[in-house]
Amino acid sequence: MYVTYYMANGTNNADVLENLKLELRRGCLIVAVLAQLRLEQYGYTLRKALADDGLAIDEGTLYPLLRRLETQGLLVSQWREEDKRNKRFYRLSPVGEQILNQLLEEWNSINASLRKILQEAQI
Amino acid sequence: MNITNCKSSSRNSMNLVDRYVQAVRFWVPKAQQDLIAEMAEDLRSQIEAKEAELDRPLDESEVSAILKRCGAPMVVAGRLGSKQYLIGPTLFPIYVFVLKMVLLWILLPIFIFIIGPVNLGNTGGDWGLAVARTFGDLWSGLFVAAGMITLVFAILERTQVQLGLADKWDPRSLPPLRKQERKPTLFHSFCEAMFSSIAIVWLLLLPHYSGLILGPARAFLQPGLLWHTFYIPILLVALVGFLRPAITMSRPQWPWFPHLAQLVQTGLTLILVHAMLNASIPTVNGDWHPFVVLTDAARNSAQYIRVAAIVNVSILISLASTWLGLSIAGVIQTWQFLQYLRKKKFVTAQPASLQAQ
Repeated sequence: MYVTYYMANGTNNADVLENLKLELRRGCLIVAVLAQLRLEQYGYTLRKALADDGLAIDEGTLYPLLRRLETQGLLVSQWREEDKRNKRFYRLSPVGEQILNQLLEEWNSINASLRKILQEAQI
Repeated sequence: MNITNCKSSSRNSMNLVDRYVQAVRFWVPKAQQDLIAEMAEDLRSQIEAKEAELDRPLDESEVSAILKRCGAPMVVAGRLGSKQYLIGPTLFPIYVFVLKMVLLWILLPIFIFIIGPVNLGNTGGDWGLAVARTFGDLWSGLFVAAGMITLVFAILERTQVQLGLADKWDPRSLPPLRKQERKPTLFHSFCEAMFSSIAIVWLLLLPHYSGLILGPARAFLQPGLLWHTFYIPILLVALVGFLRPAITMSRPQWPWFPHLAQLVQTGLTLILVHAMLNASIPTVNGDWHPFVVLTDAARNSAQYIRVAAIVNVSILISLASTWLGLSIAGVIQTWQFLQYLRKKKFVTAQPASLQAQ
């Protein structure tokens, strides 16, 4: 695969870094959400738990992601009343559990490869 | 959503949340409306948590700050809704290609070479009016064509027509590699300069030896007044034709020069040919300047009058053909020059290329 590193005149490096960080976070967020939902939670508590662990995610990103993961069969959800308010609770499905384990294996493998590459490059 | 059970929050604050949710809901498709309910619940939980932390109800400005952090309703709706395309990423490159082909390579030449001259004829040779009409027609033509193409591609996108582009291809049917752009060689430029210098010498001798152009016909034909008028401009264009290869040879460090000089030479020749055509075409008053006229001795011969007419018409057709050819060449050379500038800009702006597996 060829990756062309293209820096046009006037390109803001901060914007480039921000975009790359977003790309890097995107895949990690899915793993984090799946891992957090081993225990049943609703949207707000899930967001709070992720933020407390250093992975803040906004509403506009989390809810469509939860919807997508549910459509893919990795999550199951249920509307339930709690404290006299309707809340949608999510938890990992059996398929989601399997996929999460496979994703964690992949994550460890990528992490190990990256460490090796960085050591070889002496960064 | 019912908010009366949020005892700790003021009615005004919850009213603000409801107004916010309503504004977001307006922009979100019906299929995604349950996401709005979740988001509303999230906002109320945030307010509740903050109230619990402060041990008092939030005022309107504090709720407003939470909603502001969440984002403008239209932006939030954009994030919540599924990605929607008028023309999706699969069809988009084909759409751009078709758009370029139709607008730049079909519609524009049609207007320049067909509609423009027709408008010129219809306006009785009024250039200003003809150009204005042509631009007006071109403008609406471009919009209609672009709109139609966009509509067709949007329908293709919506109806999910399977073009089979992903499967129905064979690597062996791919077009051959494009030839690398060839710079004019030294030999090529030398030949051009040599032939141009011969042409200049020929032009310089012409006023003294009309036989060089008319041959044996000089016994009954002589160049018309038109050639006297345009002699110097023709000589100057020929001089440009000599200088272009000469400078190309002497300044190889100017890679832009051959492209630009060729374009300038074509433009100058086009202006000259156009002026000659204008001068030679009979006006409404019947005035015109023939390319050749009969000598005094042959003026009363019917046969020579016919020959002179044939020669004049032949030269007129040749000049008109040259004008058409130069116009096409001008468009192509302009395109090539713009391509050259674009490539140059790209190369300048591309400091490094990383290869990664």
